[in-house]
Amino acid sequence: MTVSKLMAIVAVLSMLVSASPAASQQGSLRSALWETYKERFLDRSGRIVDNGNGGISHSEGQGYGLLLAFLADRPADFEQIWTFTNTELMIRSDGLAAWKWDPKAEPRVTDLNNASDGDLLISYALAMAGSAWDREDYLRSAAAIARAILDNLVVERGGRVLLLPAAKGFDAGERPDGPVINPSYWVYEAFPIMEILAPSDRWTQLQEDGLALLQMMEFGPRELPAEWVSLARQPKPAEGFPAEYGYNALRIPLYLVRAPSDIGKLAQQLQKNATLDNGNGAIFDLTTGDPKEPLGNSGYRFINHILACVEDGTSVPVAERDLTSELYYPATLHLLGLAYVVEKHPSCL
Amino acid sequence: MSLKLPVMMVTATLVAGLYVTQSDQPFSSRLHSSAVGQEGGALRTAQIASEEGEDIRHLEDAARNIRALQEGSGKTERLAQPSRIVPFQLSQVDYPDMPPEGTGNETGAEQQPPQVDESALRYFAAQGDQERLAAEIARLRQLYPDWTPPEDPLAVPQNADRQLESMWQLYAEGRYPEVRKAIVERQAAEPAWQPPADLLDRLGIAEARSRLVNASNLKQYQTVIEVGASNPALLNCTEVDVLWRVAEAFANTERPQRAVDAYSYILANCTDPGERAATVQKAAGTLPYGQVQPLLALEKSTADGGREFDAIRDDLARRFVSEANEEPALEIAPEYVERLRDLAAGRGTAADAVLLGWYHLRRDNAGEAETWFRRAKEREDSAEASQGLALVLLEGGKPAEAEAVLHRWRESSEDTMATYLAATANLLAADPPPTIEDEVLTRMAQAVIARRYAPSAQQFGWYARAFDQPETAAQWFETALQWAPEDEPSAYGLALTRQQLNDRAGFAEIQQAWAERSARIADLAATPSSSARVGDGAAPAPAQVANAPAAVRAARNGVPESRNVVAQSKTMTARSARTSSCTSRVDISRLSPGAALARGWCLMELNRPLEAADSFGVAILSNNRTVSEDAAYGQSLAYLRLGLTDRAAVAATRAPMAAARAREPQASILADRAIQAFQSERFREALLYLDQRMQVQQEPVDLMVLRGYSYMNLNRPYDALRIFEAAAATGSRDASRGLADAKEAVGLN
Repeated sequence: MTVSKLMAIVAVLSMLVSASPAASQQGSLRSALWETYKERFLDRSGRIVDNGNGGISHSEGQGYGLLLAFLADRPADFEQIWTFTNTELMIRSDGLAAWKWDPKAEPRVTDLNNASDGDLLISYALAMAGSAWDREDYLRSAAAIARAILDNLVVERGGRVLLLPAAKGFDAGERPDGPVINPSYWVYEAFPIMEILAPSDRWTQLQEDGLALLQMMEFGPRELPAEWVSLARQPKPAEGFPAEYGYNALRIPLYLVRAPSDIGKLAQQLQKNATLDNGNGAIFDLTTGDPKEPLGNSGYRFINHILACVEDGTSVPVAERDLTSELYYPATLHLLGLAYVVEKHPSCL
Repeated sequence: MSLKLPVMMVTATLVAGLYVTQSDQPFSSRLHSSAVGQEGGALRTAQIASEEGEDIRHLEDAARNIRALQEGSGKTERLAQPSRIVPFQLSQVDYPDMPPEGTGNETGAEQQPPQVDESALRYFAAQGDQERLAAEIARLRQLYPDWTPPEDPLAVPQNADRQLESMWQLYAEGRYPEVRKAIVERQAAEPAWQPPADLLDRLGIAEARSRLVNASNLKQYQTVIEVGASNPALLNCTEVDVLWRVAEAFANTERPQRAVDAYSYILANCTDPGERAATVQKAAGTLPYGQVQPLLALEKSTADGGREFDAIRDDLARRFVSEANEEPALEIAPEYVERLRDLAAGRGTAADAVLLGWYHLRRDNAGEAETWFRRAKEREDSAEASQGLALVLLEGGKPAEAEAVLHRWRESSEDTMATYLAATANLLAADPPPTIEDEVLTRMAQAVIARRYAPSAQQFGWYARAFDQPETAAQWFETALQWAPEDEPSAYGLALTRQQLNDRAGFAEIQQAWAERSARIADLAATPSSSARVGDGAAPAPAQVANAPAAVRAARNGVPESRNVVAQSKTMTARSARTSSCTSRVDISRLSPGAALARGWCLMELNRPLEAADSFGVAILSNNRTVSEDAAYGQSLAYLRLGLTDRAAVAATRAPMAAARAREPQASILADRAIQAFQSERFREALLYLDQRMQVQQEPVDLMVLRGYSYMNLNRPYDALRIFEAAAATGSRDASRGLADAKEAVGLN
């Protein structure tokens, strides 16, 4: 490594460290919660099963599984999940993970394209685990994936640094309304780690531009972001996707509160816009602002408890401290939320 | 026992604590340098090696930095000097200055004496798994040349360590993630416990193998090569399937010589007869003929004095001849053609004869080709044999026979139909027009109508004219124009015929539509309506024009009833006595420019464009500008009809043409270029020509479809969607299909 490269890392690190980092801690996820999660969603081959989605697995799920195993401080489970991820999904020639794996198909990978959030989560979890448990092999894989993300997915378009949702199909030139992004793929807490793994100032820009863009995505009467947003001109819901604040988008406030910098206000505003008068959340049609589907699952609700805790110090209701979600996605959000409260606001428990 | 297994590691290297010996078969070294880059491999490898050394330091820093970030204190010793450098395996295997083969480089010999881990051996022995046991003994011998296997491996006592036992159990069942999990769990419980190096080693290899196979199944060839390169233990005779996959990856990433190396490695070193034969077959399926030949030279003699690949030699002959059929310029050794000939003449199948037929047809040996296609048909009649024979017959100027051979196979494939339709056009266009039986005319008409094949519809028109059936002729020309609205010869034929029929309104209509685009149609206006230029002097044909046979009506698809009348010739026995002013042989160079011009147009009417082009060539030299211009126009049309676009473009510039008149050949030329560019997969260029053409003439539906698919190929599915939507609105089936493709591409289906 050249001297200048090292100096750059030093500079960036000092900045990050002084900005009250929010990187995750192992052990912030209670063992019993992780055992329940494992029982429901981890099969013995090391894959996280998306039971709300026909029992397939995907890079996002593997990334979440790795991150939760790290938060639960369970190196053996982590190893099991990673072994599957590495042999089954890390097969693309560009070093990114194939996103979709179906046990009923042959070959099992049914879509070779990647999903950028999956790559980010995998690399992030590997880096955290590698540094916590002295696993150089994890760090090496984390760095390789971070480099592949930087080289293939972090692009500058129209003066902004963007995270393409995948290596294929979303960029300008690949769609008339491209580039198209998915704001829920921007895992803010991972960016400082990516910067250490694959040094570049584009990571900081990515974070800044992502937050700036998010504040511009106030679509429809509810002023909410769409899941898929065209940036060909002014941000607007992308063609060919429902213009909605959908299931993907539900995790944006969670990512914002877990992010290193102090952007809790943005999360508050977003969650307020996404909450009905009766206090429930929903999937919203952006054009009309009308709710399309109510959200009953406690996993989706948990973000409200976090925000109440952060704002007013309100305690998380006891009933919400257990993993009641039977479905992979809300259960995952639930545990990430709980781990955050344990780590940052233990007084709310 | 002297089980001699090839050893393939190049240099002694530390692999997970085990050392392996130097090899006289350095396949992996070639693999490594090619994984790094074909040229300057050694130099680049050295660079990568040093970069990776830095990467390690970087990783250590990264770990420290991540921990510092978590602590959040800000006072960390982030950048302490790196204390140790753990080398990457890749950087060690391929030395920049690797000594030549056979000199022996015993690096790593100073490593501590090997501790041979026999736990796997014990496990497989206890399980009674003979196959795995033998493989494990072979593997250990490869790793530890000084090691002596136990005399009776089955008598080796079982592992006392139950936990380890269950890890081997999981390993044997291929449950690698669970083995990994168990190892980490045990390490947490017993910090002093170290997993056996053998287990880690085998696990690493097994995981690399699955990853390589997964990548190979999804054609991620670079990953295949990288995984192979960093796992030399996968590249030996116990892993022939992996070697095949690596070879395939090289062949598909334009490194055929590397693929040859991999196959050669197997043939030079591995002993399993089935795998050896399969290697040759794989190579023949993956590599071009020329690169398979050196591999065949590695064939060994068998104990009974034969050659080991004799059993697959017939198959090889079939493959090679088939390859030569795809690539007419390829010359293959005569022995393969001879072998196939012997097969086809003897116990071989009809398919062998068909292969041989194509071989000769593609090499302009129609006589031989005919023999073998006929032989194939005798043995087992098939669409392919019939199509081949029909092509031979067409080439030999026997379209009637071609039609007769192919008609019952015509629906078998797009290819047979294309050949059949070509046969119909050729048969109808024969000069002088042949007498064709009713039954044949009917079935030809059925095919032409079902496929909306405009060239034969046009020829039906001329054919009907030749037998003085102008009403039928007019209907066919109209049909042809409906299918191919830009087909000038059909418009011309229709104009002539309507004139002949005294259909003034009809003539005026077509003349008005085409005068701008076709000089000869415009010129017809001046001709007295009674003149019938084609069919002059034809004996009044006794043929009766009848309604279309019922069968034809049924076959018709979307063609208006009135268009559907077929030349009927129940009594069409009288030969046409057509003689035209231009059919006599003359020395055209002696003709006056005016006469040459007239002769050119006359020949064009008879659809003899080659001679017409010559006549026009004489007329172009005229000093009279009108004649010269007309001749240039005629010549470019003639070349276009011959498919000689470039020559048409030249002809079009030889005399200045009136703007309106210049448009037609120009549009056709641009269309033809666009089609050629598209066929050569130069899609941007195709779009360029189409755009140029649009400036001259509105885009017909078929070219819109071409445009659509050009967009598709340029990854512009939304543009394609727009075009296909417009084109599909005209009812074009191709456009509808394109629309469906485009919708699928943008995820609308």
